[in-house]
Amino acid sequence: MKLCELATVLRSKNAGPFRTTFDLFFDNDEAYQKVKDSGVLTEELIAELYNMSPQDVYGIFFVDTARGIKITIPKPFDMASGAPRCRDLFGAQQHIALMDIEIP
Amino acid sequence: MEEEIKTLSTGIFGFGIGGSSWENGLSWDPDLIVAQGTSSDGGPTYLGQDDPYGAFMNVRKDLATIIVSARKKQIPFILSSGSPSGSNLELERALAAVDEIAKEKQIGLRIAVIPGELDKQYLKRKITAGAKIRRLVETDGLAPYLTEEDVDRSKRIVAQMGPEPIVKALDLDVDGIITGRALDVGLYMALPIKRGFDKALAAHMAKTIECSALVCEPQSFEPVFAILRKDHFLVRPTNQSARCTVKSVASHAFYERADPTREENPGGILDTSNALYEQVDSQTVKVTGSRWLPTPYTLKIEGARQVGYRTICICGVRDERLITCIDWFLDQGRKHVEEKLQPLKPNEDYDLIFRVYGKNGVLGDAEPIKETRPHELGLIIDAVAPEQEVADSACTAAVDFVAHMEYPGRIATAANVAFAYSPREHRLGPVYEFNIWHLLELEDPCEPFNIQIREFPKGH
Repeated sequence: MKLCELATVLRSKNAGPFRTTFDLFFDNDEAYQKVKDSGVLTEELIAELYNMSPQDVYGIFFVDTARGIKITIPKPFDMASGAPRCRDLFGAQQHIALMDIEIP
Repeated sequence: MEEEIKTLSTGIFGFGIGGSSWENGLSWDPDLIVAQGTSSDGGPTYLGQDDPYGAFMNVRKDLATIIVSARKKQIPFILSSGSPSGSNLELERALAAVDEIAKEKQIGLRIAVIPGELDKQYLKRKITAGAKIRRLVETDGLAPYLTEEDVDRSKRIVAQMGPEPIVKALDLDVDGIITGRALDVGLYMALPIKRGFDKALAAHMAKTIECSALVCEPQSFEPVFAILRKDHFLVRPTNQSARCTVKSVASHAFYERADPTREENPGGILDTSNALYEQVDSQTVKVTGSRWLPTPYTLKIEGARQVGYRTICICGVRDERLITCIDWFLDQGRKHVEEKLQPLKPNEDYDLIFRVYGKNGVLGDAEPIKETRPHELGLIIDAVAPEQEVADSACTAAVDFVAHMEYPGRIATAANVAFAYSPREHRLGPVYEFNIWHLLELEDPCEPFNIQIREFPKGH
């Protein structure tokens, strides 16, 4: 299944002007555990999708109590919030690349 | 009775408060009203620019509602203001509105005002004395350690004050406190800290209610109500048809934060990894178990420097023959502008950006869908340069090309695009970027802040 079919919230937003953060929430433990246990969400995959090296990924966090996953990455510095080449001031439309990730 | 603090939070003011949800909140006898009015979310321009913030009418209206309600209930209010950068310029504008409101409503107010703008000389003295003011985020856009040059190049610098100056101001027998740029959670933590409540719980409560009913289902900008006690806090919406749920409260901790369970604050990290959320009734959630891990005290400072001026043109393409070759066509446009503007060099002396909505306007090169067949494209021709006239010239040269040059299969030989406006080009004025996003270590969290007592209406 695709990540956007399993998650009930899949969003992106700035975490300050220099970082983008993605939040994923799930309505039931089964869907959350399926994604968590699949091992698909790795620094390597995020780096590939967002064109950076794996060590640049700030973090991938699994929070069982919230059935939530957070992924935080840096923005390219010339695309920082409000910078001349910025295309998304609040970083609210950067989640697209995550939606189609296949979870086996 | 168990000791408690009841906070009515409007979240961001200017979004509109009032009506039955506001009256409900007031009827539950809050100990204070708290609202946040500063933010860096909208980018560096608000901090850099001299032009006043646009939607001030909305801010003024909410200010009046909060002040009148607080006086009626005889409770204090704590607000950050300065729409939204928190600069002195904007803070004074808000205070002028407070004066008008006091006159209009015939209420006398004694307010503690705490500006958040930093004096450049203060920072330069710190640097000269050897202070290592490190960047908050590793990025090429920021100097690893703040230099005097960065300070000079910044148009304005504000500090995101913590709760400490506000705690001090609460002792000054005032009707309310209005700060400049402030840490949102600090506004909510001040009274709990003054009264000796657990710092971790106070911070966690603050984080939960700072964006008002964004923590509720359904999300809205209506108020939320929190009761802080010695070992837990309760949170609920003031709108009777909304609710806080374990999911809505636990997930709000993620919102706009880099790390979902560790939040760096001045003087400590709020650790919510072991927090417990319990549904106590259909609308209310109880929270326990957060921890505070003390760290050396640091104040976040923000500065914006001007990088140039911007000129844009907004137009649309409807002809399929141009739409199918738009990338090639715009590349030709770039070459044309480069020739026209010689000896100026692209990317050095000016920046020309084509934003093609309907194709990849949002994601740019990162757009995964490369082949599309839209019937219409929105095009923003965007030029940024150190001088406004260079930006104007780059934009107009690109506009002339886009409007009139040839492309394969062209039969509409009059013009290629539909312009939305006259004039075709618009000066958007100065462009800024954050060049200061650093941490200043302080022994005394109140050191850079000067608390002023002001009486309203003025001259009475």
